[in-house]
Amino acid sequence: MKASVDKEFLGFLVPNILIISIIGINRFVLQPQSGGILVFSEFIILPILMGILAAWYWRDLKFSSKKLIWNSILNGFFAIVLSFFFLGEGTICLLIVSPLIFAFVTTGTFIGKVMFKKNKQTLNISFVSLLFAVFVVDSISDHRYENMVSDEVIIKASPEKIWKHVVAFNKINKPNNYWLFKVGMPSPMQTTVSGYKNGAGRKCIFSNGYTFDEKIVTYEENKNLTFDIVNQPKDPEIMGHIDIERGQFLLYNNGDGTTTLIGNSWYKLHVFPTWYYDLWAESITRNVHLRVMEHIKNLSEE
Amino acid sequence: MFRFIVYRLNFLKGIPLFALIYDSCLKIAMLLVAPERLAWFDEIENEVLSWDGTNVSLHKFGGMQFNYGQKEIGHLHSNGLLDILFTRQVKQELLASGKAEVHHVFKKSGWISFYILTEKDLINAKYLLNEAYRSRV
Repeated sequence: MKASVDKEFLGFLVPNILIISIIGINRFVLQPQSGGILVFSEFIILPILMGILAAWYWRDLKFSSKKLIWNSILNGFFAIVLSFFFLGEGTICLLIVSPLIFAFVTTGTFIGKVMFKKNKQTLNISFVSLLFAVFVVDSISDHRYENMVSDEVIIKASPEKIWKHVVAFNKINKPNNYWLFKVGMPSPMQTTVSGYKNGAGRKCIFSNGYTFDEKIVTYEENKNLTFDIVNQPKDPEIMGHIDIERGQFLLYNNGDGTTTLIGNSWYKLHVFPTWYYDLWAESITRNVHLRVMEHIKNLSEE
Repeated sequence: MFRFIVYRLNFLKGIPLFALIYDSCLKIAMLLVAPERLAWFDEIENEVLSWDGTNVSLHKFGGMQFNYGQKEIGHLHSNGLLDILFTRQVKQELLASGKAEVHHVFKKSGWISFYILTEKDLINAKYLLNEAYRSRV
């Protein structure tokens, strides 16, 4: 009985220590120049290896499928908690990554269950080595991803009336609708500006007090405001995961008393796979746009 | 959802591990909405493994595959969908008796499908697997 408990415990302990150590060494020792890029294999291959390793410890314990799935979820949960404490990841980031981790650890556990039932050691070692090789190759490969998100709203006001609210605006008091903002992700609150000209400084202040420092690079009154982000906050939710590079507001007079306001943002993503994380990045960027642009609309239509 | 993935996102099965990961999502969903069915699937696996010469592997399109030696007896996806290959003649007999349904993808082949939705379905699932096993021995 005690031996069973020990083996079950080791199935949690060893994979978690191993995986966190690998990610930590990869990030802080082997690839410090990467600025903490998290490659797809860290989210896919390592959790699968984690599940396989756990299944090795649990191979003689005759766990039911229900128990194996719960244990896999628990293993993923421990990995997430360890990432919070030892890798400095943000809560929202971990919330976003958790479905992937649970699914991949569970996959690994069931791969391991079948592997160790067959007891073909050469095949097993080959499979695990292959996964590990993919991880190594992926870790040392170059990863780049940039994207632009664009949104537009129609405002019943002239570009002249809208412009001053585009350049800077007072605090947004409207409650948040977007669920990630509701659960604690900082949302845009206010924008200040040091001057109404090219080269002027602009600050976008978020609900938690963090500030994006911006520099106006195009100032075409009533038409185009483009700004580069020169300094972004050291928030664990975004640090090393995403770099917002540029923002832009374009105004088009529709000739019928309305104006189309377009908001564009350019960003670099440092977390992979992008087919998953860019869905979130786009969604968050879009909701930042819409919160600001709806506020500009309300102020302009008053 | 399962039908949508199988029919509309069929190309995804070419991505390594995708089918296994999708099946894991089905397992987690099953754990949350109908955990008792996971116990039934274990019961089926244990029953098949009690027959001489059988073993299990992961099915290439996700789920548990039951084999007799190197030959597949059938496979069980984690949403409770059991797929078994019979001869076309046996398939017609099973369809006529209501013990199986036409395969969810390969309708003209000898494959049959059977959804395990209630505890009573377990008896039929074991019967179908046993028929397939005996045909391969």
